[in-house]
Amino acid sequence: MIKAIFFKEWIKTRWCFFIALVVTTGMAGYSILKINKLVSLKGAGHLWEVAVTRDALFIDMLEYVPLIVGIVLAVVQFAPEMQRKCLKLTLHLPCSQKRMIFSMLAAGLTLLLTCFIVNFGVLYACLPAIFPSQLVWRFTLSAFPWYLAGVASYLMASWIILEPTWKMRIVDITISIFVISIYFLAPAPEAYNSFLPYLTIYTFMLIVLSWISVSRFKSGKQD
Amino acid sequence: MTPIIECVNLTHYYGKRLIYENLSFNVPEGRILGLLGKNGTGKTTTINILSGYLKPHSGECRIFGSDIFSMPPTMRRDIGLLLEGHVQYQFMNINQIEKFYSAFFPGQWCRDAYYGLMEKLKVSPRQMISRMSNGQRSQVALGLILAQNPKLLILDDFSLGLDPGYRRLFVEYLREYATAGNKTVFLTSHIIQDMERLIDDCIIMDYGKILIQMPVKELLNGIRRYTCNIAEGYEPELGDKFYHPGVIGNRMETYSFLELNEVETELKKRNVPYSTLKAEKIGLEDAFIGLTGKY
Repeated sequence: MIKAIFFKEWIKTRWCFFIALVVTTGMAGYSILKINKLVSLKGAGHLWEVAVTRDALFIDMLEYVPLIVGIVLAVVQFAPEMQRKCLKLTLHLPCSQKRMIFSMLAAGLTLLLTCFIVNFGVLYACLPAIFPSQLVWRFTLSAFPWYLAGVASYLMASWIILEPTWKMRIVDITISIFVISIYFLAPAPEAYNSFLPYLTIYTFMLIVLSWISVSRFKSGKQD
Repeated sequence: MTPIIECVNLTHYYGKRLIYENLSFNVPEGRILGLLGKNGTGKTTTINILSGYLKPHSGECRIFGSDIFSMPPTMRRDIGLLLEGHVQYQFMNINQIEKFYSAFFPGQWCRDAYYGLMEKLKVSPRQMISRMSNGQRSQVALGLILAQNPKLLILDDFSLGLDPGYRRLFVEYLREYATAGNKTVFLTSHIIQDMERLIDDCIIMDYGKILIQMPVKELLNGIRRYTCNIAEGYEPELGDKFYHPGVIGNRMETYSFLELNEVETELKKRNVPYSTLKAEKIGLEDAFIGLTGKY
């Protein structure tokens, strides 16, 4: 059953996944190219100095990329379910409805995290050749909230799309904007360090929101 | 014997608008029951309640003896659901959709029933559902239900968007399938001629209530259209044994379950100035219009 659910989600999201993978990996690669160009112009020592004294991250063009990928993936995955109320078919299958919805979300999260891990892989493959491990770790910790924002945007966009009424969707969008802004409050590197474990737990807890929308859908709420 | 579907005292409102109050009905095993009603009488509301996608304001609905809002998920193996407009996953093709559904019905899935119907469509197995016509999509939806092989089928407006050929094909397949397998079917449709070919029992709904629930044969044997000549401008008041009496020119038309002689007695009792009273046997569509009125 789980395999079948993943199969359906894969059919919906595979093109989006490949495009997201190519675009995000391309952007991570482009950041590395830019850093390499700076190294050849000014030397690695200068970059280390700028990173330490001026809090430069050099990969900040990636800041909003996970956020956008999360939203697009949620739209591609869940908009077809709401088209002509197709979700009724999904929820009518002989499988626990909670298991169904959370498996769908798990399928989406798997693709999203794969995309993000490949991004980190590209950065990790290249950055240690230019920067010392302390700075690489600093970049990683600084970029981590952006990727958590990607997960949050995916879960919150899913919540919004699965909501059956436009009135509540507007309320959900407003709440989501406030929640997402938490991930971009502090621009300084490593600003979230002490808060990161809590932020991670809080992000993955957003998964329960979609069940609220599905419950409202099941009870027949409509505009 | 416990009915397959049992709805007791259903009441539902949309906002402050009452759809119906204390609606009760049963569907016995092995019967094909059609829910007939004008737009806005609550047919889709009833289907939504039955399929678990609408909580009624009050009342209870049971399928296979189990409350629909607390029934175990495995029970849905035996309930086939056709959504209005033959909605199916548009992003899948013919093969993918069969592969997906079959995983949920191990031990009961009849692959041949689905592919048998698909062969008739003469479309490629890789044909996307989104690129199919309404008629082709209806066959995909029907094929999936037949392959699921459920004990109960709930079909919402199965004829919507279908041309006469596909409607006939759908009705013939469904009738054959239901009678051969002693399946119970609960359905709605806007096209009543199709229902006449298909259903055993009917429920005719009017705004807020059920007008009648009975076997179609009994309905068609009992109801008559009565016409007679009458003085122009006469406004008939015939009582509750006559449905929707109307006068056009000098001709009165009404519908009733009474026999011809009983109608004559009633008309005479009320001093109706009529002449040349005629009784006619009618089909389901005329019976529906007779009972619910033209407006």
